[in-house]
Amino acid sequence: MAAIAGRGPTDSPIRSSLRDPRFWLLVATAALTIIDGYLIFVVAPTDQVLGHIQRIFYIHVPISILSFLGFLVCAVAGIGYLIRRGEVWDRVAHAAAEVGVVFVTLALVTGVIWARPVWGVWWTWEPRLTTTLILWLIYVAYLMIRHYAPTAQQGRAWSAVVGIIGFVDVPIVYYSVQWWRSIHPVQVIGPEAADDALEPIMARILVFSLVAALALFSYLLLERVALRGAEDAVSAIRRQGTYD
Amino acid sequence: MQTDPYTGPVPAAVSSPEEETERSAWSNHRTRLLILGGVIALAVAYMVYAAFPGNTLYFVTVSEFVDDPKLHDGQTLRVAGALAPDTFRREDGSTLSRFSLGDKQIDVPGITPGSPQMEASYVGVLPDLFFNPHSEIILEGHYDGREGVFATDNILVKCPSKYQSIQAENPDLMPGAAAPAQSY
Repeated sequence: MAAIAGRGPTDSPIRSSLRDPRFWLLVATAALTIIDGYLIFVVAPTDQVLGHIQRIFYIHVPISILSFLGFLVCAVAGIGYLIRRGEVWDRVAHAAAEVGVVFVTLALVTGVIWARPVWGVWWTWEPRLTTTLILWLIYVAYLMIRHYAPTAQQGRAWSAVVGIIGFVDVPIVYYSVQWWRSIHPVQVIGPEAADDALEPIMARILVFSLVAALALFSYLLLERVALRGAEDAVSAIRRQGTYD
Repeated sequence: MQTDPYTGPVPAAVSSPEEETERSAWSNHRTRLLILGGVIALAVAYMVYAAFPGNTLYFVTVSEFVDDPKLHDGQTLRVAGALAPDTFRREDGSTLSRFSLGDKQIDVPGITPGSPQMEASYVGVLPDLFFNPHSEIILEGHYDGREGVFATDNILVKCPSKYQSIQAENPDLMPGAAAPAQSY
């Protein structure tokens, strides 16, 4: 209850949000995103082969990478929950899975938009796309299993197991373009990337886009964890009211 | 919080009179979770194994296709290569294209010198980057033994995993290649 009672009676909503670090993270995210838009659409050079459609790369690649980060957080917090059984671990895991699913959905959508003019098809069953769709299904299953379990506690434990095992698919997605023949371009960032995959100006804008996407990711994660805390507090009050 | 109305008694971390029964229930629960996890892990492992090279390929190359008569039985498959120079023909007012593919050179535009070629036919609109020398062309279709050509249902274009600005373009390498890309 302490978290809810934290706002004093004399505090205005504006004054209390000015003290909230999440508010400033939101401001920073908005500023970074606007600058990033300028960099992507005005500063970034047009690709010689693909033309303007290649600019979607600066959105597609960062959100794909951050969906991986979301599932990493989900798996690590899931391990923490199974060992410690702390509610906070579960809140972080659940929030990270939700944000990860949003990001991987956007990665799939931007990929489909990019594929149509370049490959000639919206979708094809090739390794990178298929393993990414499996990743999406795994973490959608993570979210569903929480509600399908007979009790909330079982839902937390079962989903933690799905979140941990499901993370196995993340390195498979990353290395799929190396392990199998694929239509998808190979990595331009990370341990397997070629040094000359990007022009220096493109690489710098990609890094900036990554920072902007990381700010958005962090904001959504922190906001969702806090919201989960409030939801848990409300349901605890509701249960007391009904059964005491 | 000793009792959760949805779950019944909550197993408490602190010791309680029912600790013995709680613990056996928990270990039973964990065993079930372990079995469930093991089954999922095996299923994932099997999917990875089943998709490994040799079991499934997204496409075969032109020389693999030409050298393997088993692939000529009319089965649907994908063949990847590069457009062989001066082989593309399409009559005016027709959507029927005829062309040949050869093996794509790695990191260099064009076909590998001396690679076998495969004749193909396609009815329909060609992708924008079909004629770009950097493109690797992937044909979906089957081998038509009577005509002796690869009857293409779909054309996909694979682009290099390298991005370069138009300004940095080498004009000798890609004459006018940026022009079609402007149409998006």
